[in-house]
Amino acid sequence: MGPTDEELVEAFQGGHLAAFDLLVRRWDRKIQGAIYRIMGTEDESRDLCQETFLKAYRALGSFKGESRFSSWLYQIALNLCRDRMRRRKGRTMVSLDDLDADGTAFVSRGRRSALELVEAGDLSRVVEAAVAALPEEQREVVVLKEYQEMTFVEIAETLGVPLSTVKTRLYRGLGQLRQRLERQGIRGTAAVPAALP
Amino acid sequence: MECTILRDEMMEVLYGEATTGAARKVEEHCAVCAACRQEMGALRRLRQDLPAWRLPRSGRPRFRRPGAPSAWLLASAAALFLALGVGLGLSLAEARLTHLLDQREARLRDELTALRASVAAPTARDDAAVLARVQDLLRQSEARQAVRLNTSLADFSERTDAQRRYDLARVSAGLSYLDGKTGQNVARTTELMGYVLQASQKR
Repeated sequence: MGPTDEELVEAFQGGHLAAFDLLVRRWDRKIQGAIYRIMGTEDESRDLCQETFLKAYRALGSFKGESRFSSWLYQIALNLCRDRMRRRKGRTMVSLDDLDADGTAFVSRGRRSALELVEAGDLSRVVEAAVAALPEEQREVVVLKEYQEMTFVEIAETLGVPLSTVKTRLYRGLGQLRQRLERQGIRGTAAVPAALP
Repeated sequence: MECTILRDEMMEVLYGEATTGAARKVEEHCAVCAACRQEMGALRRLRQDLPAWRLPRSGRPRFRRPGAPSAWLLASAAALFLALGVGLGLSLAEARLTHLLDQREARLRDELTALRASVAAPTARDDAAVLARVQDLLRQSEARQAVRLNTSLADFSERTDAQRRYDLARVSAGLSYLDGKTGQNVARTTELMGYVLQASQKR
């Protein structure tokens, strides 16, 4: 078992700069994955991931350890995502809600309807689009909870919001996802009846 | 109809983070609240669908710590070290090979010198040995010839002697026969002479 994040941070702050390389190696894929699920493009996820670690490297010297290193790192990544999203607005935003409404949500992507994608077994893209359509705050919580497998406490620490807020955002986000997927005929893939009493 | 009484607890139960007390409360509530029961079922099914979203297979993010040697620099350094290493290795290998070749050459030279020495000196020795051998063979041959001659002479002498004895025996037998015949003739002549004398005397 290797050193903990906190030990590596301490080593880095003690002058062993190479400790940061270990932290990068440990977290880069997860951070990039989270950014991709929030931003939706590979280029941006790579770009923002590098920016995240660059910021972390510059700020780690003054990191007090009041929160977990991972929470702090996700915090940086999420802030960068929010900045990028703000800059994105007014440019080429396409409302997936609108696309869903007429039943041709994925025409612009792959010229196939959501139902066709589901029938073709491309549930991944359907779920991706459904998550992408969530409001930013809900999307962040869904991504951190469902795909980064963080605890409620870690998410609250990362986002700097109360636990109850995290749960509320998650509940609402899951509710929207459920409605969106059910509208496309997806009601659980693990042999669960489509409609329960 | 939306029921929000235990919403937070339901989230905790849904993700396995509920305390025992909270889980029991949700269970008891769902037993009597159809809306929450349906909601929990629907959310559980939803959670079965969400992992279907897979990340694209992209490369690892390439973050380089400032001050850390860059990949190309590392690669260059590695290549340089490799080249140096290879060069050094080759030099060492070459030196070792040269040393081995020198050793081999020296050994071969020694062997050659020894061979030459052994070839030059032993020529006379070999001639003498050959001569001695030839002489020895000649002596042996002469001895064999002498023995064979002696044997032949002895054999010849023996055979001659036997022949002579045989001839003598035959001569002797012939003489004896002649003696016999002569005796008979003499006897007969003597008898005739007797008769003749007797007759003449009678006359």
